[in-house]
Amino acid sequence: MQKGKKRFSLAITALTALSVVLSGCGGGGSTASGGEGTSEKPVELIWYTIGTPQKDVDTVMAEVSKYTTEKIGATVTMKMIDWGDYQQKMQVMVASGEPMDIIFTSSGGFDYVQNARKGAFMELDSLIDEYGQDLKNTIDPAFLEGSKVDGHNYAIPANKELPQQEVWRFNQNLIEEYKMDTSGVRTLDSLEPLLKTIKENAPDVTPFAMDKNYIPYVPYDYVIQNLPMAVKLDTTDYKVVNILETPEMKEALTTMRKYYQAGYIAPEAATTGSTSDLGISGKWLLDRAQTQPFADNVWSTSNGYPITSTPASDAIITNNSVQGSMMAISANSEYPEKAMQFLNLLNTDATLRNMVDSGIEGTHYKKTADNRMENLPESKNYDMPSYSLGNNMLLNLNPNDPDNKWDEFKTFNESGVDSPILSFNFDPKNVSSELAAVQNVKEQFWSSLMTGTVDPETYLPQAIEKFNQAGLEKVMAEAQTQLDAWKAENGK
Amino acid sequence: MGNFFKNINRNKALLFMVLPGTIWFFFFSYLPLAGTIVAFKEYRFSRDGFWASIFRSEWVGWDNFKFLFSTDDAFTITRNTLLYNLAFILLGLVFSVLLAIILSELVNRRLSKIYQTGMFLPYFLSWVIVGYFVFSFLSMDRGLLNQILGWFGMDPIQWYSEAKYWPYILIIVNLWKSIGYSSVVYLAAILGIDKSLYEAAMIDGASKWQQIRGITIPMLTPIMTIMTLLAVGKIFYADFGLFYQVPRDSGTLYAVTNVIDTYVYRGLMTTGEIGMSAAAGLYQSVVGFVLVIISNYVVRRVDKDSALF
Repeated sequence: MQKGKKRFSLAITALTALSVVLSGCGGGGSTASGGEGTSEKPVELIWYTIGTPQKDVDTVMAEVSKYTTEKIGATVTMKMIDWGDYQQKMQVMVASGEPMDIIFTSSGGFDYVQNARKGAFMELDSLIDEYGQDLKNTIDPAFLEGSKVDGHNYAIPANKELPQQEVWRFNQNLIEEYKMDTSGVRTLDSLEPLLKTIKENAPDVTPFAMDKNYIPYVPYDYVIQNLPMAVKLDTTDYKVVNILETPEMKEALTTMRKYYQAGYIAPEAATTGSTSDLGISGKWLLDRAQTQPFADNVWSTSNGYPITSTPASDAIITNNSVQGSMMAISANSEYPEKAMQFLNLLNTDATLRNMVDSGIEGTHYKKTADNRMENLPESKNYDMPSYSLGNNMLLNLNPNDPDNKWDEFKTFNESGVDSPILSFNFDPKNVSSELAAVQNVKEQFWSSLMTGTVDPETYLPQAIEKFNQAGLEKVMAEAQTQLDAWKAENGK
Repeated sequence: MGNFFKNINRNKALLFMVLPGTIWFFFFSYLPLAGTIVAFKEYRFSRDGFWASIFRSEWVGWDNFKFLFSTDDAFTITRNTLLYNLAFILLGLVFSVLLAIILSELVNRRLSKIYQTGMFLPYFLSWVIVGYFVFSFLSMDRGLLNQILGWFGMDPIQWYSEAKYWPYILIIVNLWKSIGYSSVVYLAAILGIDKSLYEAAMIDGASKWQQIRGITIPMLTPIMTIMTLLAVGKIFYADFGLFYQVPRDSGTLYAVTNVIDTYVYRGLMTTGEIGMSAAAGLYQSVVGFVLVIISNYVVRRVDKDSALF
């Protein structure tokens, strides 16, 4: 009887295994066969992008699909993943082969270079040549050039501000209410009087808003975002250093600690995923953000109350800014040609671009002039991050925007200074196990150090030691070797 | 062959009953075993889907295991997983037997039922919700505990960045959640004990305490052994929700909250290196397997009938 039972289960096992294998094979392979991808029989493009999921996304995409069906024979389904979750969720979904066509990628969210190397994205060189000529003529060439990985393009960068400049953003209502002066603000230390005033006068307001991804600004450019290897911006010897060992970072962390202890920072900042609830309630005084020309208008419009800003750094063109917002075509996309056609249209067609950005005319916004618009109350159900959705320079102007907004962008782009390591892309192949260990250490220390939750006096040396134990020094040595080779090759 | 079908026919009712379990085990335990090879590969995406990616990735030998042992991570997570589970098993046993005895001694049946239900309830809550319960106690500025500390003029404590409190917090939270369930098992066993034993003891003048020590506990011993053995079998599997949701993924607490399951999860989420996460998972399975074999061997030597296999 024992034997029979065994054989029986074996038979079942074999049968099920076979069916799994068969169904597995059925999946792939079928690319745009006859008759598909026309306006009669459109194909569906799945688009993953970053941002807090919006209530009206499906309604707007239905409208967008009508337009794209007619233009390129494709419908669009957009899936939004919240800021804090994007990196992690995309990692798993891409690895497990979830069907998708267009993926938002950047140096910060779902890392562009690393994932391009891992094969997550399709190489786009020939697709751009075939379907993306218009796009190529529209986008600032610095973007396409700066986002090449090992000589190939794996994503379409959004045409936007080229340099990256950090600013302090202020909730202007509070600034006025307490008659504060923001003109002298630039460094982290210079914020103290403002924070103090608010803490004393408005105890229910969070003076310094931040989430767990906050890092104090220091004049270095990171080799890999959010890992402690960096090169000083005014470097001459191109030396890769551990950012935690630099005097600038030490000082900044000590200040952060001081602010945290004074109660200027939310006690749970190190475990907070998003500060959007503060943005809605308006109960915050200041935070840090990356700017672009007339950003204050954009922020004020999207928050519904005035926001002002002052610079916290110079305008630097870094990999992070060049690769700050891109759209890649997934390696497992069933319709890469259609996806490319869509990206081409999105980056060149103002109607489509504005629909994706602002929603449906008459519902979410109304037009006030040829290229001007005003948000309607319904726009709170479709409040999208403009930077992540393609060519910014096609967007309609907001009521407060000057007519020369996009010219100002061009001027701003020209004013940017190149980071010394612009367009150097680190290849972690030889040190991947060290890098994984380093990542684990980073998870353990990063947020609590950067937000001032723990005392850098005791935790900074601990973190440095742990990082070195995990092999950071080896990773830095490898980065240095690659950087030196790159430097020689590019004649720096 | 004829014999084979005859056997099936004779046992069809039994076979039918084990079928759901077999299918479940096949899909969720045996089929994924094939994926173990990822632990020895450098996972790279392939456009033909997940399986194609696995098979086309390059072999890298033991490279994926290096990151586990290059820091003291492997030690920390192994230690945390084992010690916490040991504490859960021992304290869980003591408290749930205690609770079951107390409940069984309650004269008012209705009250007993109410207590039982009350203690059973947390077992059904999701860890995410429990995590928020705990947060309402431990939040730095609005938490109940810090307010109580304030009444006594003490400084508030940053619960989510002070690692030293967390071994106690985690053990208390886990006991609170699981004890109601396990005590029901013991309560059922106690109610099944022949009442005449107690009557005889009472006639002989045994006190309540003597009855418990002399009758209840010995009668419960077999079921205590089985329950403990079953728990030991899972000693290398930490409760993910407890260790991830309750401490709110706070980095400063990792030294005492990082267990194998959360480590694998974080590795996969932050680095996206599937091969390395699989390597950590494989390590967990192998060590867990060895532990089960050893504990079963020990039990066999002591009491053959109580061994699992």
